[in-house]
Amino acid sequence: MSRVVVLGAGISGHTAAAFARSWLGRGDAVTVISPRPDYNWVPSNIWVGVGLMNPAQVTLPLAPIYERAGIEFVQASAREIHPEGDRENGNPYVTAESAGAEVKVPYDFLINATGPALRFDKTEGLGPGGGHSLSVCLPGHAAQAAAALAEEVERMRRGERRRFLVGVGHGTCTCEGAAFEYIVNLEFELRNRGVRDRAEITWITNEYELGDFGMGGMHLKRGGYITPSSIFNASLFAERGIDWITRAHVQKVEPDRVLYETLDGNEGERGFDFAMLLPPFSGVGLKVFDRERADITERLFMPNEFMRVDADYTPKPYEDWRAADWPRTYQSPEYPNIFAAGIAFAPPHPISVPRKSPNGTVIAPAPPRTGMPSAMIGKAVASSVVDMIGGAKAPTHTASMAEMGAACVASAGANPFTGTAASMTVFPIVPDFERYPEYGRDKDRTFGEIGLAGHWIKILLHHLFLYKARLRPGWRWIPE
Amino acid sequence: MDSEHASYATKPTRFTIFMRTFLPWQVWRFAVINLKMIEIIRRSHEGDSPK
Repeated sequence: MSRVVVLGAGISGHTAAAFARSWLGRGDAVTVISPRPDYNWVPSNIWVGVGLMNPAQVTLPLAPIYERAGIEFVQASAREIHPEGDRENGNPYVTAESAGAEVKVPYDFLINATGPALRFDKTEGLGPGGGHSLSVCLPGHAAQAAAALAEEVERMRRGERRRFLVGVGHGTCTCEGAAFEYIVNLEFELRNRGVRDRAEITWITNEYELGDFGMGGMHLKRGGYITPSSIFNASLFAERGIDWITRAHVQKVEPDRVLYETLDGNEGERGFDFAMLLPPFSGVGLKVFDRERADITERLFMPNEFMRVDADYTPKPYEDWRAADWPRTYQSPEYPNIFAAGIAFAPPHPISVPRKSPNGTVIAPAPPRTGMPSAMIGKAVASSVVDMIGGAKAPTHTASMAEMGAACVASAGANPFTGTAASMTVFPIVPDFERYPEYGRDKDRTFGEIGLAGHWIKILLHHLFLYKARLRPGWRWIPE
Repeated sequence: MDSEHASYATKPTRFTIFMRTFLPWQVWRFAVINLKMIEIIRRSHEGDSPK
């Protein structure tokens, strides 16, 4: 009997656990360790954040799903990995904390899919927990944002003018796409509620140009032109009367303004009444110990607490970055029975051009690895683990972000007749300038358009992926 | 909107805005976009052959 332990029950971890369970025999065990009791379909959190959904519509209780599927569920926060066991017993195990008590879970294969730690602490005054800004990273955060938005709408109905600031709260943030969806949905909702003329809406971002999204931007084939995504993004904002601040690192969030530094070294401030600013991410801070209980964390994890896998982490200048630097199997180079999936793996370098201000402040988006790539990585890792349990000597499946594409639908207003969404495809996610010298991507497969059809697709995906997450009949046929 | 840089941005015509929510056209685009996305998903799964 083998036991596969998955740390985390987000998009990547849940996918990995579900596939591993369905492929392994009943003599083998799959255990999921996750601090939260629910699965969250994160892409729909933005609709909670504007008050169109409630948290229960984007979450599912995990315990009954796992009980039905035959997956053991431990609700706890993973703390330590002991890949060599300890002096008493050489079997590897992880420790986790649940309600102050330590739980010890042995494993034969470990999939680290812990996702990000939300580092609101990196910027003074950032975040809903004691700070002055809101977030949509978690369903609870998004519900709080919706309540604050409702208050703002009431004030505007009484005739007040209000200032909205949306974007990212640090120079190294990622997930600009989620904040982008939030700002255009916010604008759409203010129009729907008849108060748009009393709202001043501003986007603040660490992107060098609009539409970078941490992927170095895209060149989209549309209307007889190959057009940079910055043009589309600027058009979308200008059409909706949204102002923007780019190349910015938020230094401090005060109760009614943010202070920021820009790439040219200048400092600025922007007042707000309502701010939704995403935090930077890091790994969750897992510690690793050898058999003698010596701390070997730095052998398995990068300083940003994301896990080293089969990537080329050699520091090199942007000009020397290659698609081949990106991991393919997500196996730890230190321990062949440990893998990382989704946000938990350490990218070899960003995708966007790295930039610093004259003061040395890094102002460049980190690479996104959420949604479709996270799920595909989870599935590929589960495939390899199952094959290795079956006798394979090495991982058998790959899911390099430099070899896979992504289909993304960014909501720009939720209404079945008047809503719109930007539908985009990119191939590959990480540009490969050796294969596609001009733009780094296949221009026939990198595409984008905005329209009502995109909103229908977004709604379809919401229901389809929640159905899949429930592991209902036929779930395996729904692609990642 | 009084932002200076917004005046340099491309803006859609009324026809383009109309087409974004014109039902017959959007039903067609729904089919086209889905096919494009299925192609991306199919190609992306090439390293992940079915078990």
